[in-house]
Amino acid sequence: MRTHTLRYHVQAAAALLAAAAVLLPVFLIDVPWPAAARDYLEHYGVGDSGAINLVSAVYLGFRFFDTLGETLVLIAAVCGTIGMLTRAGAILPEGFDASGMAHGFTGEGEAPDTPTFTIPVEKPKSHTLRTHLLEVVTGVLGPVVLVFGFYVMLYGHYSPGGGFQGGAVIASGIVFLALGKREEVTSMLTQAPVLYRIESASYLLLVLMTVSGLFAGSGFLGNPFARLFDESAAFIMVLDICIGMIVGTGIGFICIAMVGRKVS
Amino acid sequence: MSLIILAIGIFGLITADNLIKKIMCLSVIENTIILNFISSGYITGAAAPILTAKDIATVDPVPQALMLTAIVIGVCFNSLAIACIVKLHEKTSTVLVSELHEF
Repeated sequence: MRTHTLRYHVQAAAALLAAAAVLLPVFLIDVPWPAAARDYLEHYGVGDSGAINLVSAVYLGFRFFDTLGETLVLIAAVCGTIGMLTRAGAILPEGFDASGMAHGFTGEGEAPDTPTFTIPVEKPKSHTLRTHLLEVVTGVLGPVVLVFGFYVMLYGHYSPGGGFQGGAVIASGIVFLALGKREEVTSMLTQAPVLYRIESASYLLLVLMTVSGLFAGSGFLGNPFARLFDESAAFIMVLDICIGMIVGTGIGFICIAMVGRKVS
Repeated sequence: MSLIILAIGIFGLITADNLIKKIMCLSVIENTIILNFISSGYITGAAAPILTAKDIATVDPVPQALMLTAIVIGVCFNSLAIACIVKLHEKTSTVLVSELHEF
């Protein structure tokens, strides 16, 4: 750490004061949060969307268009991260770089001997952080975390949880599986083509669900199941599953790509 | 409370020399904003906004739903920023701002 000059500190203090002058009124403001939206949600939220969890009702019912764009942002971030890491000359795990993805998308020919994420076991010196304890614990915990993630995802309309939260738990489960994997034990979920196919299929399903309301007579972003069942939470459940899979595979993809990176 | 953390984050953002520390400080600021929003909708003693029974006081679900979005975007932002730093390190082989001025 190099020593900073006095001028540097004065500049820092001045910038901090300027930021405080701008941001203090925002934080000290005493106007209560407007209650109109809350009251509306308390009275009509459950009936309109079918979700008892009002947060789910907001982001998958009343504000679903925003959520659709947000998942698009997530996918763009995954593409950008992988693209930039590949361009930066980093050696990503096999199949996680752009060329592997291009190969995978064609779907033709033989797969390049199943690109999987494995850190060679016989070289423990270069991976001092990777111990047998880590392998055993994460390998055993991975499926349990995955099951819990699916629970959080599927019960998002009924209990605390939802697509984004469940997706984050699923992502940690996928990372656990990847970390705990040994040469002889493989999991489909840590292979790059499987991950991004799940992600693409989920997003396609999500877009289809938003459009399907048009054909079912309830309008764009409408609930296509409204005439089929009385249980209108089915729509929110399907959306939760889609978003959970997108978030889980997307974040898991980034994490595995970064963990397995070897600087050339 | 969130003000103090915000001050720490902004101070770190200004004074940190390492780009990765700057990203960490940005995350701290982001979390401050999330904390501020959640606490603005919070009502002491109220239940989570899950209407299992009628006539119970619940906290405001609107800021919670807003911040759910912010958290996911924060993850995207962090991963992209770190990828940018990796790219920068490959070009200049440094992540220190003071050394980046020389390029």
